[in-house]
Amino acid sequence: MSALLEAFRMVAATDVLIAILLSSIYGLVVGCLPGLSATMATALLVPITFYLSPIAAIATIIAASSMAIFSGDIPGCLLRIPGTPASAAYTDEAYAMTRKGEAETALGICLWFSALGGIAGTLSLILLAPALAEMALSFSTYEYFWLAFLGLMCATLVARSSPVKAIASMLLGLLFACIGIENPAGTPRFTFGFTDLLGGIEVIPALVGVFAVSEVMRAMVTPEPPPLPPRRFGSILKGQWELTKKYPKQQARGNLVGIIIGVLPGAGADMAAWVSYALSKRFSKEPEKFGTGHPEGLVEAGASNNASLASGWVPSLLFGIPGDTITAIAIGVLYMKGLNPGPTLFTERASSMYALYIIFIIANIIMIPLGIMMIRGATFILRAPRSSVMPVIVLCCAVGTFATGNNLFNVICVAFFGVLGFVMEKNGYPVAALVLGIVMGTMVEQSFVTSLIKSDGSILPFFERPVSAVLAAMTIACLVWPFFVVANRWFAARRRRAVPAQ
Amino acid sequence: MASFTRRGFIASTAAAASAAGLKVGPAGAQGNYPNRPIQMICPWGAGGGTDATARIVAAILEKDLGQPVNVVNRTGGSGVVGHQAIASGAPDGYTLGIITVEISMMHWQGLTELTPRSYTPLALMNEDPPGVQVYVGSPHKTVKELAEAIKAAPPGKLKASGTGQGGIWHLALVGWLQAMGLKPDHVAWVPSNGAAPAMQDLAAGGLDIVTCSVPEARALIEAGKARSLAVMAHERNPAFPNVPTLKEEMGIDYATGAWRGFAGPKGLPAEIANKLTAALKKANESKEYRDFMGSRGFGVKWADAQGFASFMDAGNEQMGKAMKAAGLAKA
Amino acid sequence: MQLSDRISGAFLVALGALAAYGGSRLPPVPGQQIGPNVFPMVVGIGLALCGVMIALGVGRRFEEEAEADLHAHENPIPESERHHGPLYGLRALVPPALLIFYVLVVDKLGFVPTAAIIALVAGKTLGASWRLAVPIAAIAPVLVHLAFYKLLRVPLPAGLLPMPW
Repeated sequence: MSALLEAFRMVAATDVLIAILLSSIYGLVVGCLPGLSATMATALLVPITFYLSPIAAIATIIAASSMAIFSGDIPGCLLRIPGTPASAAYTDEAYAMTRKGEAETALGICLWFSALGGIAGTLSLILLAPALAEMALSFSTYEYFWLAFLGLMCATLVARSSPVKAIASMLLGLLFACIGIENPAGTPRFTFGFTDLLGGIEVIPALVGVFAVSEVMRAMVTPEPPPLPPRRFGSILKGQWELTKKYPKQQARGNLVGIIIGVLPGAGADMAAWVSYALSKRFSKEPEKFGTGHPEGLVEAGASNNASLASGWVPSLLFGIPGDTITAIAIGVLYMKGLNPGPTLFTERASSMYALYIIFIIANIIMIPLGIMMIRGATFILRAPRSSVMPVIVLCCAVGTFATGNNLFNVICVAFFGVLGFVMEKNGYPVAALVLGIVMGTMVEQSFVTSLIKSDGSILPFFERPVSAVLAAMTIACLVWPFFVVANRWFAARRRRAVPAQ
Repeated sequence: MASFTRRGFIASTAAAASAAGLKVGPAGAQGNYPNRPIQMICPWGAGGGTDATARIVAAILEKDLGQPVNVVNRTGGSGVVGHQAIASGAPDGYTLGIITVEISMMHWQGLTELTPRSYTPLALMNEDPPGVQVYVGSPHKTVKELAEAIKAAPPGKLKASGTGQGGIWHLALVGWLQAMGLKPDHVAWVPSNGAAPAMQDLAAGGLDIVTCSVPEARALIEAGKARSLAVMAHERNPAFPNVPTLKEEMGIDYATGAWRGFAGPKGLPAEIANKLTAALKKANESKEYRDFMGSRGFGVKWADAQGFASFMDAGNEQMGKAMKAAGLAKA
Repeated sequence: MQLSDRISGAFLVALGALAAYGGSRLPPVPGQQIGPNVFPMVVGIGLALCGVMIALGVGRRFEEEAEADLHAHENPIPESERHHGPLYGLRALVPPALLIFYVLVVDKLGFVPTAAIIALVAGKTLGASWRLAVPIAAIAPVLVHLAFYKLLRVPLPAGLLPMPW
């Protein structure tokens, strides 16, 4: 108990509170700039944490990353340009709501359920950390292979268009993931002798290209859409309570999936959002509404990606194993500040741990007022003429991707993926599936190759291990699902054609 | 493309310098070096160990030299891009960088033309030797027992990991196996995305051995999931005094490690290089640096310009031998 | 650039075949049963198969249904059928061209002048009046520079027009 009081005292220090507030605002702003991800927001904070007290340093990272994940939804919703890869899964859905004139509701959903998801994730961190950590440790490469494969299958579930084209887009993404030397063999592949291609295609330039640049390209050749009807909603949070009551199961499932995926090292908020959105559509009573501006998927996926953020800290704090790229950076800061990850952190430094929990809760609570201000400010974009917004987006695309590695090659990548995304979109190939392929490619190959090395070439362990077997069954079910649907419709169509003939 | 970016980089360096609003003096005016901000290039991403080392040293140098020292992460190409940027900067002392052990490995694989000789070495600041880690439930209590088990096992039976194929910890294993008179692939190497996932898989029971630095394994060792049997170094690590060296346990005098040092482009004027080496020596001895490295568990090491050069030459040769033996070097 | 499914499918077949061929030529790695060649080959073959299916029109019905759904749930946007010259479609290439322009000249001109040119061209192509395009081209680059250079410490080149911060 005294540790808890001590923790409150630590968090209530002026420098910590200022750190939380400033880094929250920072996270909100960076997260909503296209090209700057939550990971980058965190990475750019590291030099600043040098000068902060340990608790303040951790607070900046927690606050900034939580805000950035939510904030990535804002440009996705308003301009169909996701700010972070975690928002890419449901960008089309949110944008469809905006086109129906419901931008405030869509952003309200993202905000409200992000905050609730973040708090659920924190509770899991507080109550279940040791159990979750044990679960994470029981995942070996066999399980990761199925998990990554399952993630890839989400591409077909999420897409509104032809599943064949979705798979083709995803495979194209996997092909891009082959480029470079970051493969299990450590062999340069498809680099054509360019040094810049050795490191492979990064996710951020691809994401910015296929979403942001191609959106600007579309704007160049389409007439300016008529301004949205000037409908004002009384409150951004209005109606969120009804949605909370309407979709309790979706929200709980989103939180649960987010927590589980977050705990698994290597899978993070990006994957959580994808899986949750796919699950939501799969189990929905009205799946045909998905993609047309339907709140259900937003509720589930928005809750999921923020829940994964907190639970991603579990393996980091207990074993020093990063749950995702953000906690990978956080671990460095923890060590630097003498808060060495390990079980002793929970016993010997209990007050610091409690302080960390409190910061998580505070960050998710102040996300709501700050987020509302941010949304109010950002919706100006909807009223500004397109010819004033788009030039600024082009600049942000160039600078944001340059900043990921201070490398101009990334800007060339953005231009390339812009053209690719534009052509794909015109021809009904879902670009989100391409991004998913690039995100998951390395993980699929790495886990498959290393598993086979470990099993001396036998594929039995992929099906023998209990968790592996369950994941395998799920994956195979997903795999045959589209073919089943195609066959079913084909037969249905034949029957229909056959009936009038009689 | 590569050459374009390189040239572009020099331009941007000069541009960044003049951006500070200070008149760039004639090249001959070295006496009052430095009189404008220095750019410190880090070939690896923000938040990692190399980045942290670069930043702490930059902060100390800044106080000592009285000019801003800005760390710039130039990532991409698995470290090649950043190392290239350091080597091709203007040799005027305003473009420096942190170089890592990969510089003595990548050229053997034919990934770059750069070698340790492509730089003006300034100082070696850090070295982390690999440890030999096993799962806590492993029957092998000492490295000697483990070595016996390795020798008794059929080739490829035991699995080890710690980094990607051909990475530094892979070569450490290869070197150790060779020192024991075994074939480089006697223990199968499972490539991983760094030390942390490898340690996780070790704890999950998927691997037999992980060769990575002891600090990288520390959290899982302290969590009671793994055990460190030995370090491949000449001396024990003061932060982990219970872990013996290979020489103590097995009589094999094999040592290697991942190192980080500071360097400038080739042809740095001696006057400037000496001044920087002196400043780096002061930084190396400072309490700030020692405390920081201690907190991260990183090993502090010191070698001046000449020492660093011969250290890199020796390491380069050792890596080449190990990589050729493991079939990783380009013929 | 609207292509028929036959053409985009054929393109995927070609790309998949090239990837599989390129992958098959990669050397094996000692100690790994599954070498670096396998993954590109699997992906390439899969891509080629998808290409064949797309060219044959498999799954086309899903797209038509999806489009019908979208139209049912949305107030349709009136497409003003203005008469466009034959080069109108090429305007889509302006944004990527501007990004390449940025890569080529930013180190010489510096960030702010380059960004101003980009913003001006993008604004004018989108049909902004000079009264709107010029102020944006003047203000936006400076603000972006301030945010990225000063707050996020991104080393943007100063070039001809160094900023006072």
